[in-house]
Amino acid sequence: MSAVREPDTTTTALPPRSETGAVGWARANLFSSWHNAALTLVVGVLIALAAWYGLGWLLLDADFTVIATLGGLLVIGQYNTELACPGQNCFWRPQAILLMVSLLLGMAWAVAGGGLTKRIAIVVVVAISLFAFLPFSLERMGWDVRLLLLANAPALLVGWGLARYTRLGSWSWVAGLSVGAFLLTLALLRGIPGAPGLQPVSVLHWGGLMLNLLLAVAGIVVSFPIGIALALGRRSNLPVVKLLCVVFIEVFRGVPLITLLFMSQVLVPLAFPENFPLNSLLRAAIIITLFSAAYMAENIRGGLQALNPGQAEAARALGLPGWQTTMFISLPQAIRNVIPAIVGQFIALFKDTSLVYIIGMLDIVELSRKFATTYVENGALPYLDDVRELFLFLALVFWIFTYGMSYISGRIERHLGVGER
Amino acid sequence: MLNTNTTLPRILTYQGIPVWRHAQVIQWAAQIASGFLVVFLVAWFFFNIANAIEDREIPYGFSFLERAYQTPIGQHFLPYETSDTFLYAFGVAAVNTIVVSIVGVILATLLGIFIGVCRLSGNWLVAKLALAYIEFFRNVPLLIQLYFWFYIVLALPPVREGYVIANSLFVNNAGISIPFASPDGWAPALAWLAVAVAGIFAGTTAHRRLTDREIATGRASYPVAAGIAAAIGIGLAAWLVISAVAGAPFVISQPAPQGTFGRISGGFTMSGGLLALLIGLVMYTSSFIAEIVRAGIQSVNRGQIEAARALGLSPMGTLRQVTFPQALRVIIPPLISQCLNLTKNSSLAGAIGFADLTNVAKTMTQTAPAISIFILIMAAYLAMSLAYSLIGNIYNRRIRIVGR
Repeated sequence: MSAVREPDTTTTALPPRSETGAVGWARANLFSSWHNAALTLVVGVLIALAAWYGLGWLLLDADFTVIATLGGLLVIGQYNTELACPGQNCFWRPQAILLMVSLLLGMAWAVAGGGLTKRIAIVVVVAISLFAFLPFSLERMGWDVRLLLLANAPALLVGWGLARYTRLGSWSWVAGLSVGAFLLTLALLRGIPGAPGLQPVSVLHWGGLMLNLLLAVAGIVVSFPIGIALALGRRSNLPVVKLLCVVFIEVFRGVPLITLLFMSQVLVPLAFPENFPLNSLLRAAIIITLFSAAYMAENIRGGLQALNPGQAEAARALGLPGWQTTMFISLPQAIRNVIPAIVGQFIALFKDTSLVYIIGMLDIVELSRKFATTYVENGALPYLDDVRELFLFLALVFWIFTYGMSYISGRIERHLGVGER
Repeated sequence: MLNTNTTLPRILTYQGIPVWRHAQVIQWAAQIASGFLVVFLVAWFFFNIANAIEDREIPYGFSFLERAYQTPIGQHFLPYETSDTFLYAFGVAAVNTIVVSIVGVILATLLGIFIGVCRLSGNWLVAKLALAYIEFFRNVPLLIQLYFWFYIVLALPPVREGYVIANSLFVNNAGISIPFASPDGWAPALAWLAVAVAGIFAGTTAHRRLTDREIATGRASYPVAAGIAAAIGIGLAAWLVISAVAGAPFVISQPAPQGTFGRISGGFTMSGGLLALLIGLVMYTSSFIAEIVRAGIQSVNRGQIEAARALGLSPMGTLRQVTFPQALRVIIPPLISQCLNLTKNSSLAGAIGFADLTNVAKTMTQTAPAISIFILIMAAYLAMSLAYSLIGNIYNRRIRIVGR
């Protein structure tokens, strides 16, 4: 005789059909009452109308040729033009960076052993490789470009193999190599005078999505430790340190980024001696980083404040020195609790990289806008009417990155059990 | 005190502990060192700036504020002539930013609350639509959104071929023009101001008295309706009196296209830049406010809502009188920070040709010392931040839970 008795289906009635399946779902979520039903109908009609006109515009009126015309300019700006890189082909340098990224993603996949990291790595590399099949003519996008894009897939596997079968398979190696790769990226893009094939390229010609991503990555990586230091400084009981941190945070949070960026071009050159090696891109990167660090500091301070003081007291009672209490007890818990705010700040930083237009850098937004509104052909502005399509496309590009970031952050939160413990 | 470390000279110990291991000494040394470092850096910057001023003959000081600015400002809410001084032009630009900020904050808060409530709707379609709105508008850079709206306005037909509704609403690539009613002179203006104050006072008094009576007696006294009725009654009475005394309560200025080239004169014209700026700022900020409102409403204990429903309150009544007042405590602090963000984000106006504080300041640096302008603009933005924080903190204190 089995321990669990089977439900007696002959006498126990099953739920009525109208409360299960699609019909039941619709009844519960769309037509639960008469005004809910009316709301559903009105909203449904509005959505249908918007979809009808939106699709009609998209399929019949919209003209996306401006995006095809811009092509690679959107990705690397004027980097590979005759202006920036005369007499040479410089496209391979950004592509080498992509290969490094794929390699590191492969290593991270092997170290993490699957899960979310594996999915991110595969999605990113597949997306990069798919660009090799863009329907451009071979004159505009040669075999070399396409093959280097396709090479990202083997690079991923090589990275995976390296981490799996050599001694490089640990997070500390991946982190160290990532820092190395970032420095190598800057060196590659900047070029080395005299080195064959590595002709220097002025930072003024760095542009496109590459510039947005560079500024965002540098800003995120550097602003995080600065933000932690500022947050700790603001909470310290040393009056001088506290005052300095408070003034720094409040000044940077009180003034718009665009004002700071603009002033970085007018005022900062005056504050350094003439011929000080500080180009406009570096100034902008420093300002964006410091601005982001001020906000980051407030987020982390919020996390520290929300922490139960018993945690630090227990650590001190166990004999941990002050700095170890902070590093191993307070900070990890505080940061874990404010991951959503921190990722929100990273997203804001990435969106804010579009503000570099104010200092004349041609990031993806400014480059496209300038092209569409000033490109003259046969005495006319052929792309002026396509700006709506262009900005919709740019919105989609940014959305993919920012939504991806918030999706990953949500997954990490769930993994760490934020809000559950 | 027993000093075991007998080999150390007295000068290297403090309270019997070697100085490099004494917590207080280390802390003070760190403070003095960091203080010196910052002072040194600031001094070095000032030294360089002073050198640059001397060597490159860069102008400095604040005497330029008395000079005529001599540069037109696009749309402005205060009267402005190019012969006005820099100081006044700066004020005009500040008022532009303040107007955008106040209008934007009000609209974004209303829209944000609406979307946030929709996000929690029991209706699946409405909730998902609100989610799509939030996820799209807060994940796309504001600059792209501003450009999008701005170029839509620019793509409208020119003034002579624009849309005209009832001969008073003009929509064209110069913006939107509507009739504008303004009091005729100072005396009626002051009278209307007094009427507004009296109306608000009467309305709030009636509302408070009737609420008290409703709480005391339990009889329905309709405080909201009575308050609005009192305010409107005073307004109508004033309308009749001012009409009788001055002939007409307002001077209504009608927009009309002028000249063959097409330019709207009269009425109030909202330029394309201002229109795009407001639409962009409101939609962008409301998506953040919606998330704040959602989190606030979700933070209210479920038992509160269940108790209200059990007492027979309607879903709307539960939201208005039970959930929302409690959610406000969670909502207000981040809401203030969003209002500040909106104010600061209005500095993107320069990209779409609206003369806000930053944009005018940027133009001013071409004819005036940049250092002085930077000081002015920092002061202006910090003052606005402080004002918002102050209002928010006062309100926050009023709605705080009173401890027992």
